[in-house]
Amino acid sequence: MAARLAEEWFAICGGCEVTILDIGEPLLDVLKQVEIVHMPVIMDHKLFGQTGENAEMEIPAADVGLISGGIRSEEHKKLALEMRKKCTILISLGSCACFGGIPALANQYSTQEMIEKVYRGSKSTESNGLPHEQIPELLDRVYAVHEVVPVDAYLPGCPTTPDMVANALVAILEGKPLPALSSKSVCDECPTKREKKAVGTLKRRYDSPDFKPGAPLSEMRCLMEQGILCLGPATRGGCGGDSVPRCIRAYMPCEGCFGPLSEKANPMVDMMGALSSIGLDPKQIPDRAATFNRFAGAGRLRPALRR
Amino acid sequence: MGMSPVQSVSAAAEAPPAETFQPLIIALCCNWCSYAGADLAGVSRIQYPPSIRMVRVMCSGMVHPNLVIEALTKGADGVLICGCHPGDCHYQEGNLKAEKRAEAIRLMLSDFGIEEERFRLEWVSAAEGPRFAQVVRDFTEQVQKLGPNPYRTQ
Repeated sequence: MAARLAEEWFAICGGCEVTILDIGEPLLDVLKQVEIVHMPVIMDHKLFGQTGENAEMEIPAADVGLISGGIRSEEHKKLALEMRKKCTILISLGSCACFGGIPALANQYSTQEMIEKVYRGSKSTESNGLPHEQIPELLDRVYAVHEVVPVDAYLPGCPTTPDMVANALVAILEGKPLPALSSKSVCDECPTKREKKAVGTLKRRYDSPDFKPGAPLSEMRCLMEQGILCLGPATRGGCGGDSVPRCIRAYMPCEGCFGPLSEKANPMVDMMGALSSIGLDPKQIPDRAATFNRFAGAGRLRPALRR
Repeated sequence: MGMSPVQSVSAAAEAPPAETFQPLIIALCCNWCSYAGADLAGVSRIQYPPSIRMVRVMCSGMVHPNLVIEALTKGADGVLICGCHPGDCHYQEGNLKAEKRAEAIRLMLSDFGIEEERFRLEWVSAAEGPRFAQVVRDFTEQVQKLGPNPYRTQ
């Protein structure tokens, strides 16, 4: 019997859905064993019934539920509760579902401030009043899925990696336990040379590091020590499977999309410590809270304290 | 300049017992200089307020900022890091690392809504018992003026 799969998307760009497609040929084998019962991105399944006859939103029962995107509105919250009720295994797909992701950067402002800025405040906006009819109410901030309903597994990443999605789906189909997240940091898995001391000062974002074409990464210097901001020290590894983390593979700095090292970790404190420990000037980071919580804003970023 | 033990005892005795708030300060002292300095203050019987809880660390350069932030967000009224004077570090430049980190810590304290004055980095050598006592007296007074840590009442 095919496993029933439901997928729902909330505050997200849709990149994680593309990742499912990106699994490539192995997806064909997986699809034979899966029956998709609900997935707004590819199928026209109406939440209130096909003719809008129902009063409540309904999702069909499923063995596996995937949720991508953070929870921003009352509608998202209701749907998340409905998904939890109908799915045996619920998985957070992508960094937005796991930690709020990019939309959660708005958690630095109150919902009111954000609406003012978006619909009235910005210079390029011609204000026609605030949208208010037939749209779900916004919550006070962006929530990660597990802050609203219990989640069985996390597949972080922005977007998440095709291998991780495939492994998780295969594990479920074979009745095996879901693969656990890596407990190592990106730095633990990074092969570049570290001397614990920075050469020079922090560079601008797209300045180039010293690069030897053709040389292996183990002969090149740590990006952060060359003054290129890399979130490796405060970011969970595992994005490259058993090998080198994905961005490092291209000798690009880690952006932090796999989220903090633990539920309680504060990436800003870890990163400020890491920067200053190798002798870089932490004052040069223009917006440290947002820069270091780029993908982990749910529960970590909050409106600035006013004393 | 340190005071002699006798002077400091009388100074403490004359201090008005006006403040009832007794702050709780975490002092992280390096094994090679400051802890020995604190030891000297002890064996010299120099009096200082009983506000500090001392943690011996191998070097001030091993105190990661998250330890300081954690202490302060969990209710300590102040954090004091003491290390060797610059150039005297047992590990060559651990204290310089501590100084760099102190800058990051001060920046972050404002993000957490904590007064910058609740954190201090001081250099105390093994011979500076009186100075250690003076640093603790000054810092305790400073934290007393600020009142209890806002996180403690939450």
